[in-house]
Amino acid sequence: MNTVAEKKHRVIEPDSLIGKRIRKMDAPEKASGRTRYIHDINLSGQLHGKILRSARIHALIKSIDTSAARALPGVHVVITAADIPDQRPIGVAKDHFPLKVGRVRSQRDEIAAVAAESEEIAEAALKLIKVEYEDLPVIGDPEDAIKPGAVLIHPEPHGADGTHMHLKQGMSIAHKGKPDNIAMRFDYSHGDVVKGEAESDVVIEDTFKLHYVTHCCMGVSGMIAEFDASGNVLMYSNTQVPFLHKREFAEYLNIDPARIRIIQPPIGGGFGSKLDIYPFEVICLYLARAAKRPVKMLFTREEEFLASPTRQPVLLTLRSGCKKDGTLTFRQVHTLHDNGAYTSWGATTPFVMMQTFSSLYRVPHCDYHTAAVYTNNPYAGSFRGYGNLQATFAIEQHMDMLAQSIGMDPLEFRMKNAQDAGEVTGQGMSFKSCGFKDCIRTAAQRSDFSHKFGENQANQKAPGTVKRGIGMASMLHVGGGAKIYPSDGCGTILKMDDFANVTLITGASEIGQGSETVLSQLVCEELGLPISAVTVVNNDTAITPWDVGVHASRTTFIAGNSAIGAAKKAKAKILAVAAKKFEIAEDYLDLRGGFVIKADSGEAVIELSKLLRNLHFQDKAELVMTTFYYEPPSVHQDKGFKGDVSAAYAWGTQVVEVEVDTETGIVKLIKVTGAHDVGRVLNRLGIEGQIEGGVVMGQGYAFTEDLMIENGRMKNPNFRDYKLVTAPEIPEMDIAFIESMDGEGPQGAKGVGEAPAICMAAAAANAIANATGVRLFELPFTPEKVYRALHGKTPKLYWKPWKAE
Amino acid sequence: MTELKHYYAPTSLDQAVECLKDGDVTILAGGTDLTPQSQAGRIKFKHTLMNIRHIPQLSGITLEGDEIRIGALATITEIMEHPLVKQHLPVLVEACDHFASDQIRNAGTIGGNICNASPAGDTLIPLLVLDARVELASMPEDKLYRHSMPLSTFFVGPGKTRKSLCELVTGVRIPVPAANHVARFYKLGTRPALDISTISIGVAGCLNGGVLSQVRVAFGAVAPTPVRAEQTEQALEGKPLDAATIEKAAAIARDEVHPIDDVRASAWYRKEMIHNITKRILGHVAQA
Repeated sequence: MNTVAEKKHRVIEPDSLIGKRIRKMDAPEKASGRTRYIHDINLSGQLHGKILRSARIHALIKSIDTSAARALPGVHVVITAADIPDQRPIGVAKDHFPLKVGRVRSQRDEIAAVAAESEEIAEAALKLIKVEYEDLPVIGDPEDAIKPGAVLIHPEPHGADGTHMHLKQGMSIAHKGKPDNIAMRFDYSHGDVVKGEAESDVVIEDTFKLHYVTHCCMGVSGMIAEFDASGNVLMYSNTQVPFLHKREFAEYLNIDPARIRIIQPPIGGGFGSKLDIYPFEVICLYLARAAKRPVKMLFTREEEFLASPTRQPVLLTLRSGCKKDGTLTFRQVHTLHDNGAYTSWGATTPFVMMQTFSSLYRVPHCDYHTAAVYTNNPYAGSFRGYGNLQATFAIEQHMDMLAQSIGMDPLEFRMKNAQDAGEVTGQGMSFKSCGFKDCIRTAAQRSDFSHKFGENQANQKAPGTVKRGIGMASMLHVGGGAKIYPSDGCGTILKMDDFANVTLITGASEIGQGSETVLSQLVCEELGLPISAVTVVNNDTAITPWDVGVHASRTTFIAGNSAIGAAKKAKAKILAVAAKKFEIAEDYLDLRGGFVIKADSGEAVIELSKLLRNLHFQDKAELVMTTFYYEPPSVHQDKGFKGDVSAAYAWGTQVVEVEVDTETGIVKLIKVTGAHDVGRVLNRLGIEGQIEGGVVMGQGYAFTEDLMIENGRMKNPNFRDYKLVTAPEIPEMDIAFIESMDGEGPQGAKGVGEAPAICMAAAAANAIANATGVRLFELPFTPEKVYRALHGKTPKLYWKPWKAE
Repeated sequence: MTELKHYYAPTSLDQAVECLKDGDVTILAGGTDLTPQSQAGRIKFKHTLMNIRHIPQLSGITLEGDEIRIGALATITEIMEHPLVKQHLPVLVEACDHFASDQIRNAGTIGGNICNASPAGDTLIPLLVLDARVELASMPEDKLYRHSMPLSTFFVGPGKTRKSLCELVTGVRIPVPAANHVARFYKLGTRPALDISTISIGVAGCLNGGVLSQVRVAFGAVAPTPVRAEQTEQALEGKPLDAATIEKAAAIARDEVHPIDDVRASAWYRKEMIHNITKRILGHVAQA
């Protein structure tokens, strides 16, 4: 032990945690199997809930007989819509009830639910429920949904005598139905595309088709719900947005939100899937309320496939043009979104898609239209990238095709149209920091893009069955939150104990992305403490301050700024006390290595823990506790979808190298070179993991994953036939970080959570075209699809642009 | 809720086949097919679940005269790692290497792979081109009765074989190949690991001065069962393995198979791949 005298002269060397490789705080628990997921939590007296789903795709429910199920020993509760007269419509468009009333519209539809002593008894009870259906015509193709006379998925109600029931305005779609199959529409424009087209030397138009994939979280969906004796609700839930859901659940239960407490156990994967409330969660609450016992509901893997949201499938026709000198002139886009039977966040992906169409590269004139239409297919939710993978797939292929049509190098073409810092786009996005050109340049240099591109092109017609290809794509995504809700903020409570340990209480949820580690790091950086000094509390709405939720790549940026704000307040408080005690001006003091130090020399003044104890155990005793709420300086979009919606924007370029076996259609992904403008690297280990994971998720979207839906029925709800990428297929990766030091970002950082998945499919398409001269417009690039295209067996896709009137 | 009433784990072959006499028995070995199929409702448990893992006569990989005998309980991992198999039957090792995952290979048995009778069963194609025979045991009266039949006649349809409900597969017998024997296996799927074959191809024969004889060609996932391709074999038998012969054989192979469309591929693509991969494999054999 050092003596007091020695300590006084001790000099603490400057050190920083920023940019270091810091192990995720939850890694040891997860790696050793100790993490208690919702599966591992059991409450005493708990019952097990199961849901009976529809045996039909689209049908009227003529009758439900639950008598045999109710009579089964061990069954406590059986419910159908008839048992819950106070059901309220749920979902983004309030267009369905948790338990379906009178009609099923998709394979996943919930008809009845059981709470029983065991899962086995609950399963057996479901088999005893008899349902009579009357089949209705199925709409399995969104193009059929908009044909005149198409069967309506949500018809307006008619009375027993067949007369139209005119329900009052303002009622939800679940009650009053809809006179057409259009769930949502988006229309955006800036400039004048007619003028843009007139100025163009080259105009191209193509249709692109994006398929269904789903999140495949390793931890399946689940929930435990319990009502206490006073009617207060405790939920163990895997939600990504606890505070918004608290309010929504209260609405569905018709109780005060104050009576709802949500605890989030460690979540086994989110990726956007846990952003909406799904029927099973409300049903679990109904069961617990009826049973007066805790009810646990866990999906099977098959159910996870059948009843989880998907990525938004899109049919898209893009028309774009440029001048001979390589200047982009316009983009005109029409998309048809298959909304499925009900509306979740997938329908709103145009918010993100239109940003990419309007503002990825300098686009003087842009016109964008989406109609999301009801069908009897699964419904799409939010999924990492939120429409951006789909939009980028089309745009970045057109960038290559436009370059080719004017005989310009694709790299030069991109550089010519890429934006610089300070530019404001037609949609009103203001690029305060912008590493776009650095991303393109760096990814191209590190992959030797130009040389390989030319060489591969020359080799297309040479003998040999295996062809090499290289392709590039870039992306633009919000990196400083997104002002979608009335607030985009996050609160922090920071508490220091007598030993200079910190409890960081944050509204931001950890869903495996590493937020608790990064937030701890940012706090420690301010307070001069090691990361081991922090305990994070982030999973209980009764304790943590408000946050809008994990989405839009916002947590590091928003919750990070909030944590820094709280830490700065704590630091100021500490330094003020130290200044007084040691009669040194605050400005000359700092915190470092667990000490209060003299800022100029680094000389230790007092151990921080000792100072905090002094502060606590004195006449005017005080604890160091601070709170901070951060709201980013972004603005809401206006009615025309214009506005600077994020406090910062992230950029990235990925170069993909492939080998195409022309005799089998197998495309081997050889290497991915990425350059991402992340503002600044905070946790190097964490960000590498996030980029690598995102690349693999993008790879699955591009090559292997395909949720096959035929006339509303899922053909492969299992990991045998739904192919995730496995270890041997993961390519070599070379990832570079562009540090544009965003002025508003925490320590200069920007959000990066969604970014790495976005470019992969587009870059892969460009690489296959570079290898073979054949362009693919439809995902995924399975061996058969590639082989067909290479052998001229793929008819040219064309969807005639259409917009809702 | 199953119909399962009894669990039985015999420790001798006699006990096992005695139990099988009434035919109302579900046999459990590795469980890697039985478990998912029963959970998915494709297999219904019979009255008795018989675990055959404690029967010594079903284990082991041995050289018996001019045959290698692989016990029904040999796991895919044991087969892959066994010196006799590595030395004499490298084509079987190759197929095992593409078999599911490590965990499945550690539990799944060759007897199970044979009895599951999947058209895409990974070990079945190499076993067919190696002229394997299936050993069967039963107890028609009070005595143990054992016989064998060629694997090429064993399969009847998906999940269906000529094994009666009273019979147990005890192992497979494979003639030790001659010194000039060549054999190749190729599995085509959408990814290199953890996949069910879109198609699989096995080719074997004796190579003498560029001429292939005793030709065996088998295809997986192109018919209700794994199949021998006799017309393709005839097109190759005794011929010098030159470009013209190879192209002709590959074309015959394409016409000889009648696959279906399913979630993995279309019939058209499967036929194309039978042609292209057969050609590719024969090219490799010609260069061997």
